[in-house]
Amino acid sequence: MTGFRIEKGGLINRDTKLNFTFDGKAFTGHNGDTLASALIANGVHLMGRSFKYHRPRGVISAGSSEPNALVELRENGRKEANTRATMVELYDGLMAKSQNRWPSLQHDILAINSLASSIFVAGFYYKTFMWPKSFWEKIYEPLIRKAAGLGTASREADPDTYEKSYAHCDVLVIGSGPAGLMAALTAGRAGVRVILADEGSALGGSLLFENEEIAGQSGYDWAQGILAELASLPNVTLMPRSTIFGWFDGNIFGALERVNDHVAVPAPFEPRQRYWRIHANRAVLAAGAEERPLVFGGNDVPGVMLASAMRHYANRFAAAAGKSIVVFTNNSSAARTVTDMQKHGVNVSAVIDTRKGERILAVKGGKQVVAVNGTPCDAVAMSGGWSPIVNLMCHRGAKPIWNEGIAGFTPPDVGPEFTAIGSAAGHMLLSECLAGGVRAGTVKGRTEAAPQCRDEAFAIQPFWWVKESVGKAFIDYQNDATAKDLPLATREGYGHVELAKRYTTTGMATDQGKLGNVNAIAILAEASGKTIAEMGTTTFRPFYTPVSFGAFTGPFTGHHFQPVRKTPLHDWCVEQGAVFVESGLWMRSAWFPQAGEDWLAAATREVKATRSGVGLCDVSTLGKIDIQGKDAGLFLDHLYCNTFSTLSIGKARYGIMLREDGIAFDDGTTSRLAEDHFVMTTTTANAARVMSHIEFCHQVHWPELDVQYVSVTEQWAQMAIAGPKARATLQKLVDNLQLSDETMPYLAARDVTILGDVTARLFRISFSGEHAYELAVPADYGNAVARSIMQAGAEFNIAPYGVEALSIMRIEKGHVAGGELNGTTTAGDLGLGKMMSTKKDYIGRAMSMRAGLADPARQCVVGIKPVDRSMKIRSGGHLLKQGDAPSLQADQGYICSVAWSPMLDMWLGLALLSNGRARIGEIVKVFDGLRGHHYLAEICDPVHFDPKNERLHA
Amino acid sequence: MLRTSPLARVINPGRFGAGKGVPGVTLSVVHPITMSMVIARKDQAKKMERVLARLRKGDVHWAGPDQYYVINAPYTDLKQKLEGLASVSDQSHGRVMFRIAGAKARAVLAKGTPVDVHEDVFPIGKSALTQMAHVSVHLTRTGENDFTLSLFRGFSESFWEWLTSQSAEFGYQVS
Amino acid sequence: MLIPCPHCGTRPVEEFTFLGDATPTRPATPDDPKWYSYVYERDNPRGRFDEFVHHSGGCRAWLVVSRDTKTHAVFSALTAADFKRKQKP
Repeated sequence: MTGFRIEKGGLINRDTKLNFTFDGKAFTGHNGDTLASALIANGVHLMGRSFKYHRPRGVISAGSSEPNALVELRENGRKEANTRATMVELYDGLMAKSQNRWPSLQHDILAINSLASSIFVAGFYYKTFMWPKSFWEKIYEPLIRKAAGLGTASREADPDTYEKSYAHCDVLVIGSGPAGLMAALTAGRAGVRVILADEGSALGGSLLFENEEIAGQSGYDWAQGILAELASLPNVTLMPRSTIFGWFDGNIFGALERVNDHVAVPAPFEPRQRYWRIHANRAVLAAGAEERPLVFGGNDVPGVMLASAMRHYANRFAAAAGKSIVVFTNNSSAARTVTDMQKHGVNVSAVIDTRKGERILAVKGGKQVVAVNGTPCDAVAMSGGWSPIVNLMCHRGAKPIWNEGIAGFTPPDVGPEFTAIGSAAGHMLLSECLAGGVRAGTVKGRTEAAPQCRDEAFAIQPFWWVKESVGKAFIDYQNDATAKDLPLATREGYGHVELAKRYTTTGMATDQGKLGNVNAIAILAEASGKTIAEMGTTTFRPFYTPVSFGAFTGPFTGHHFQPVRKTPLHDWCVEQGAVFVESGLWMRSAWFPQAGEDWLAAATREVKATRSGVGLCDVSTLGKIDIQGKDAGLFLDHLYCNTFSTLSIGKARYGIMLREDGIAFDDGTTSRLAEDHFVMTTTTANAARVMSHIEFCHQVHWPELDVQYVSVTEQWAQMAIAGPKARATLQKLVDNLQLSDETMPYLAARDVTILGDVTARLFRISFSGEHAYELAVPADYGNAVARSIMQAGAEFNIAPYGVEALSIMRIEKGHVAGGELNGTTTAGDLGLGKMMSTKKDYIGRAMSMRAGLADPARQCVVGIKPVDRSMKIRSGGHLLKQGDAPSLQADQGYICSVAWSPMLDMWLGLALLSNGRARIGEIVKVFDGLRGHHYLAEICDPVHFDPKNERLHA
Repeated sequence: MLRTSPLARVINPGRFGAGKGVPGVTLSVVHPITMSMVIARKDQAKKMERVLARLRKGDVHWAGPDQYYVINAPYTDLKQKLEGLASVSDQSHGRVMFRIAGAKARAVLAKGTPVDVHEDVFPIGKSALTQMAHVSVHLTRTGENDFTLSLFRGFSESFWEWLTSQSAEFGYQVS
Repeated sequence: MLIPCPHCGTRPVEEFTFLGDATPTRPATPDDPKWYSYVYERDNPRGRFDEFVHHSGGCRAWLVVSRDTKTHAVFSALTAADFKRKQKP
C-alpha cells in the first residue's frame, strides 16, 4: 500500500489523475473517487469541525447520511455550502473548503467551546440568552450566528441553469441494490414502464462494495449484467445521481437529478440539476438500510467511522481508512469489515464485541485516533446495527414499526401503491432481498426466478450506550448532541421524542438524524422507562436530503420568473417609443415620451393632443368574451345588475357585475352583434376572473341555459380612437360606411370593412369623454392598422397615448376604475345604483338589498380638489371633517385616484366619502399620515371636466 | 392585408443548441392558421359531432366538453354548416400554433406538462388542455413524434423563449 | 394531489382552482332568509368534503371533488351538473 491507496482492486480508474484542492492544499485522486475517498486515500481524516464545540471531525459514512464531512464546493457564483464530501464525485480541478472553523481547520480557536462544554448542555441557548430581552436581536443572536454556522452562501448569481420535468411510470424502483435491481428487471421484462432511480453516482447499491455471490458470479458482476439488460430495454429508464426526496399525495415522487454536479462546469446547454416529479402507478422502496454508529466516549474522533463505510472505501475506492484498525460492534455484520480489511492488508488489532461484554472505554487521539482501550490503532470501524431507510414511506404521516428481531424501525404498510423490499423492509438476508425484488417486480403474473445466492445470517444484540466510557459520546454529530443530553431533556420535562428533538437539537442537522435518531430514541426510552416502540419516532418529512433552491425554481428566474404577455400592437407601441408598464402579466404602453419629457409631461401632451385633435390608444388588454347561444341575453341578465336581453342588435351597453355578496365586481361594455351573439368586455385586471365567474354561473347556477362562451381577448387588436378629429381620422380607413351620428351613433356597434379587405368591429364608446371609437381588428393586422391610423390622423397631429393619459382623462371625467372598483364598493357607492334592476334575478341582487349596503351614510364616489389649487394631492389620504383630529371614529373616507389635469390645470381626484353626494361643496381636511401632512380640499361632483358631456356627443 | 405573425421578428431559422448532428427536435411556428372554437349548442352535441365528422376540409381537435378546435376550415363556412348546432368563434389570430417534432419532442414536452404523452397512452390525434411554463396550452399529437401546441397569442414570444431554452440540450432546428 | 377530471383524466392539483363547499344551494328568491348563510357560512369539516374545483388550467369545467381533508384521499370528481343531479333526490 502506498500511503492509504490500496494497490489493487476497486472501481477507480487508476489511469486517470485528477488534481483537486482541499483548503488550498493540492491532492490527487482518480476517476471514480468521491472527495471523501480521495482524501482518505491521501491520509486525510480531518474534514470538518462540529457545529457547537468546533471539534475536529472526520468522515463517518460513505453516503448521503454524512454529518461531518461537509464542505464548501467550488467558488464565486458556483459556490455551494454544506455539500457532503461522501457524495461529491471527484473531478479535475475540484476546489473544496472546510467549514465552521477559524482561522483554519487544523487550529480552530472556538474549539475552546469544547473545554467549557459543561455549560453548553442541551437547552443552553434557551437558558442563557434570556435576559435582558433586548439583547437577543442585537447582541446574542449575531454572536451565536458567527460562532455556530455551517458554510456561507455565495453572494453572486449562480451562472448555471436548472430544470424541471415530469415523468410517468408503472413502477418506480427506488434504490438499485440487489432488491431494486431484481424488481426493476422483473418489471422491465414484463414490459411495463419502469424507472430505476438511485442517489449514487453508479447504480448497484451495496453490490458496488459488498462481497456477495449471486448466480455464481460476484455480486458486482451480476449487477453489471442486470444493468446492461435494463439499459437495453426501451421501457426502462435508469436514473443514477437521482435522489427520490419525497413521497406526496397521488403517489407522486419528487426527485433531484444531479445532472452536472460531477463536473466543474456543466456541458453547454445542460442544466446543473433537474427537479423531477414522477407520477408512479406503483412504487417500490429498495433504499436499503443505514448502519448506525455506536455511542461511546470519543466516537467522533477522526478515524472512527461506520464499519460498512470503512469497507466501502476499501472495496470500492481502494482507500484504506487506516493501517491498523479496531472493530467495535454489537452485531454480526461487522465481521465483513474484519475479513475485507485483512484481505486488503490492513491490520485488525482488535475486535470489540458488545455481545461478549466487551466495550470501548477510551479513545485516544485529537485530530486522528491513536489508540483504543490502550491498543494503538489509526481507525475504528463501528457497527451499532442497521436502520431500514423507511423515510419516504413515512412522508405522508404513517409511523414506522419497531422490529425487535433486527433492532430497527421497519416501514409501515401504506398500501399496494408503495411497498418496501430488501433491507429497507428489514430483510437482512440477500436471498430475501432478491425474492422481494421478484415479488415487487411481478406484473400481472409475469415473473422471474430469483437467482441463487450466498446468504450470511444476521444477528444483533442491541447495545445503545457505553455509559462508563471516557469523554463525550455523540448521538448527533453535526449538532454536537451527546448521549447525556437525552436523560437531561427527560429530567427537565422534554422527554417526549418530539420535544427532546427540539430541546437537544438531535436530528435537526442537514442529515436529519439519519445516523443518530434510533440511538437517541433508545436512550430516551431508557431514561423515561419506556420501550422503544412506545417512545416512537419523530415525524418524517420531505426532503430526504437537501434540495437546492435553484432546483425548485427551475428555469423560472429573472426575466422568465413569469410569462410575459404582449398585445398585438406591441411592435407599433415600440416604434412609437412607448414606455411599458406591467399590468398583471401584460406589458401595456404607459406613455410615449418625446425628447426631454418625463412621464407627466408626456401624458399631459398626450391628453391635450387627444382632447384637441385625436389620440390613439392600445386597449387590447381589456378582456373580450364571445357569448353566443339562444339564451345569451338571459344569461347576461343574470351576470349583470342591469339588463342586456333588451339590448338592440348593433348596440353597446355599459354594465356592472356584482359579486354574490352585493359588492361591485367588474364593469365594461357589452355589445349585441346578433340575436344570439354578444361580445363582452371586462377590465384588464379581472378578465380571467370574469371568465371563471361566467363558467361558474352557467355550469353551476343556470346549466339549463343555451349559452356558449369563449375568450376572444387575443383574437382582436383593439384601439381607442378619441378626440374631436376621431371621426375624420377613422373615415379615411373605413370603406363601406359614411360615419355620422346616424350611421354610427353613440353606443353603436357594427362590423365595418377597413383598408380594403379587413373586417373590423367598430364601437362608438368612450372612456375619455371625447367623441371616440374603439376599433377591433383581427390581431395579425393590428400593427399595420395602427400605423394606417397614425397616417390618417397625421394632419390632425394624432398622438399615441398610454394608460397614464387614459387614466388622467377618466379621472377628469369621473369614470370609475380599479381605485374605486376595489372590492368594498357597491354599485350605489359608485353612483351607478340606478342601473340595478328590480325585475330580474342576478348575481348579488339579494345581498345588495341588505340595509348596510343601502345605508346613505356609506362612503360613495365624489370628486375632490385641493383648496390651494397649486397643490399636488396624492391618493391614500384620509378625509376628516374640518377640526377633527385623525382617528378611526372621525374617518370620513379616503382619496382613491388622483391625476394632474392638463385641461383644468390642477391636481384633482376621486374619493370615497361618507354620505358624499350630499356634501358637494364641503371643505374637508385631508390627513395624509403616510407622507406626514394634511391640507384642505373641496368635495365636488366626480365629473370634473365637460360635465354636460358635450364633447362625447360632438 | 397580409397577416403578420407575432413571432415574425423572433423566429430565426437554423440549427441551435447542443451538438451538430441530427437535432433532437424541430420547432416551427405554424402561421397563418385558420382556427375556430366550436362549442355545441345545448343538447346539440351529437348532431354537431356528426357534422364535424363529415367536414371535407378541416382537422377537428377535442378542446373540452362538447368543444372542438377546427383547423383549416374557413370560419364563415363552419358557422354556416353548424347553424343552430354550435357556436363558432374565430380564433385564427388569437392563438399561436407551434409544431414540435423529433425524437426528443416528448422529453421537451415533459419539461412543461404533467400530461403523460407516452405513445401507449397518448395516441395520434389525441388532444389535451393543460399548462406548460405557467401558460394554458392545447396540445395535440399529430404524428409518430409530432405534436402541435397552441396558446394565447400574447404569450407566444415568452413561450418560444422557454421552448427553445428547454430544447437546447437536445439540439434543435427552427424551420 | 391528483384529481380525476371527468373530461381530461387525472391531473395534478396545480391545474385546478378551489372555491369551497359545494353543498349550499343558491336560494331561488331574493327575500329568502337563507341568503346570508349561503354567502357567508361555511363549515370546515375534518374528513369527507364536497368542494367546487375549477379545472382552470385544463378544460375549464367546474367540478365537485369529494375528498378527505385529513388524508387527502380523493373519492370522486363529478361535473357540477352531475353533482347537482345526484344531490337532488
